[in-house]
Amino acid sequence: MNRFVRTLAVIGMLLFALPVAASAAGDNAPQPEQQPAETTSQTPSPSAEPGTSVTTGDGTPATVIDDRDVEGILGKNVRSSAGEDMGQIIDVIVNRDGQVRAAVIDFGGFLGVGSRKIAVDWHALSFPADAVIDHVILNLTRDQVRLAPEYRSGEPLVVLGAATAVQPKPDTPAQPENLMPEK
Amino acid sequence: MSSALGSDGQSGPAQADANEMRRGEVSRSEARGRLPPRPSPRSLRALDWFVFFLADAQMGFGPLVAVYLTAQKWTQGDIGLVLTAGGLLALAGQMPGGGLVDAARSERVLAAMAVAVIGASAFLIGIWPAFLIVLAAKLLHSAASCILGPAIAAISLGLVGHSAVAERLGRNARFASIGAGLAALGMGTAGYLISNQAVFFVTAALCLPTLVALWLIGGGQVDPERAHGGTAAPHPGDPMATIRMLLRNRPLMIFALCLALFHLANAAMLPLTASVVTMRSSEWAAAMVGACLFVPQLVVAAFAPWMGRQATRSGRRGLLILGFGALPIRGVLLAFATSPYMIVLVQVLDGVSAAVLAVMVPLVIADVTRGTGHFNLAQGTAGTAVGIGASLSTVLAGYTYDYFGMMSAFLSLAGVAAVGFIAVLMFMPETGPGLRSNEFRREALLSESSPAHRRG
Repeated sequence: MNRFVRTLAVIGMLLFALPVAASAAGDNAPQPEQQPAETTSQTPSPSAEPGTSVTTGDGTPATVIDDRDVEGILGKNVRSSAGEDMGQIIDVIVNRDGQVRAAVIDFGGFLGVGSRKIAVDWHALSFPADAVIDHVILNLTRDQVRLAPEYRSGEPLVVLGAATAVQPKPDTPAQPENLMPEK
Repeated sequence: MSSALGSDGQSGPAQADANEMRRGEVSRSEARGRLPPRPSPRSLRALDWFVFFLADAQMGFGPLVAVYLTAQKWTQGDIGLVLTAGGLLALAGQMPGGGLVDAARSERVLAAMAVAVIGASAFLIGIWPAFLIVLAAKLLHSAASCILGPAIAAISLGLVGHSAVAERLGRNARFASIGAGLAALGMGTAGYLISNQAVFFVTAALCLPTLVALWLIGGGQVDPERAHGGTAAPHPGDPMATIRMLLRNRPLMIFALCLALFHLANAAMLPLTASVVTMRSSEWAAAMVGACLFVPQLVVAAFAPWMGRQATRSGRRGLLILGFGALPIRGVLLAFATSPYMIVLVQVLDGVSAAVLAVMVPLVIADVTRGTGHFNLAQGTAGTAVGIGASLSTVLAGYTYDYFGMMSAFLSLAGVAAVGFIAVLMFMPETGPGLRSNEFRREALLSESSPAHRRG
């Protein structure tokens, strides 16, 4: 119902805000070249990364990173080390310290039908060392991932690790099918 | 337009076209005199291709939108919001869309505008995936779809008339499912080899042959009066009176309720099946899910024309019982099927239901609104029932899946399907002309013509 109200609000806003947004939305349009992440980002926190950091004239610390070395991660295709299609990254999970714990991938299905959201350990992901990061490699096979319980926000997270097998979800005994080995 | 072609066309093939056009004009005037329509073979072929290309184009707006927007770094919340907004408009627009088709002087012109809107919105989504642009495009697409759904059936009915429309609808269903199947293959390949963005440019481009096919349907042969299911309403200025009249149409209301129950059980079954297949099969998961999508399309393409002929020959009720009966069986089988191959096999039943409904929904509605002039508004009414059932289906299946597991989800859907089946069995009258319990139709017509009529 909340979503319904939000949707109605958006529809109403749309009628008034479309011309304004059309000019502003140009910023969101996808650039054909790779987006340079953090190139001129303002980092007001004092704990800016040292090393490549330079300080601009106006006193705000800023870091310049080569755009070939970094890449936005959302929406990137995920492959297994054997080259199998493992879906797309749709979210990144951090803990209270701000450390990245897991990536949520939209896994399986065909043409968008039947896919499931699955959380995998951040350390199970690796990135192509050379050239452009056009996909992410997950060090798990489809066989290891397919039975994982679905990721839902607001519920305990089951994160598939690189070395371990699928962990049974302890608090939901009502999904025995998920955990049954097929062979 | 046809007269200009007729006077200019001198060469052989052009002359033949002009003759067809002229015959179209003749058949229109004959329709006024209550003579059977004589659509030209070219118009009938053009309608085949129109249905085919439109199903192609509509494929691009399916679940692929979510895949594409995810690749464009959209959050899942925004994607859900856009899809929900589109779904709500598609639901709310059913009756206005049908009413618009009923009011249109030319179904073809209205359909052409809707196709153009669909092409434009696909192009916008492809070229400019910003939130408000995609939201606007999705809403435009929903609105256009509300017109195109009834418009296809209206053009078919206007072209061939009530006596031949069952077979025509069967043919439509065949071409639509071939179109959707090929489009899914083509767009899957394009998405994989080029980019997800390419899918939307392909969709936009597909609207051009759709428009050409629509233009090739002889305009004079689509009789607006036939396309609306009869003469104009007794209260043309009072839309509420018209809607009250439809609500008093007992067979229509029974049918709408049965359809709502069917889709309450049906809509979530395929996504649930696909996710089970993804879980169960390791190596060929994508191919298996693909097979779950294609097997029903193949069944529809193979059997829908036969269903249309059968409906003409021996009535609507038997086929409806077949289509509604296949669904609970499918639900129970899916609950207990373990092997992915078996699940794909069970999808044949999905095809049986889909073929029956693709033909029977517009056909039964045409039956029960014959002579009222509100065929398309009635289609919108049934479409609203379908939409409500389908959107609640996801909620029902999601809830039972989360709290009681996969088997319970399939079994509860099967239970709802069984209720729908029993409802058809017990309450749905035969609506075909010249067939058993034809008095239901006459009763319906009576209730519409006499304002003093009361229910019960």
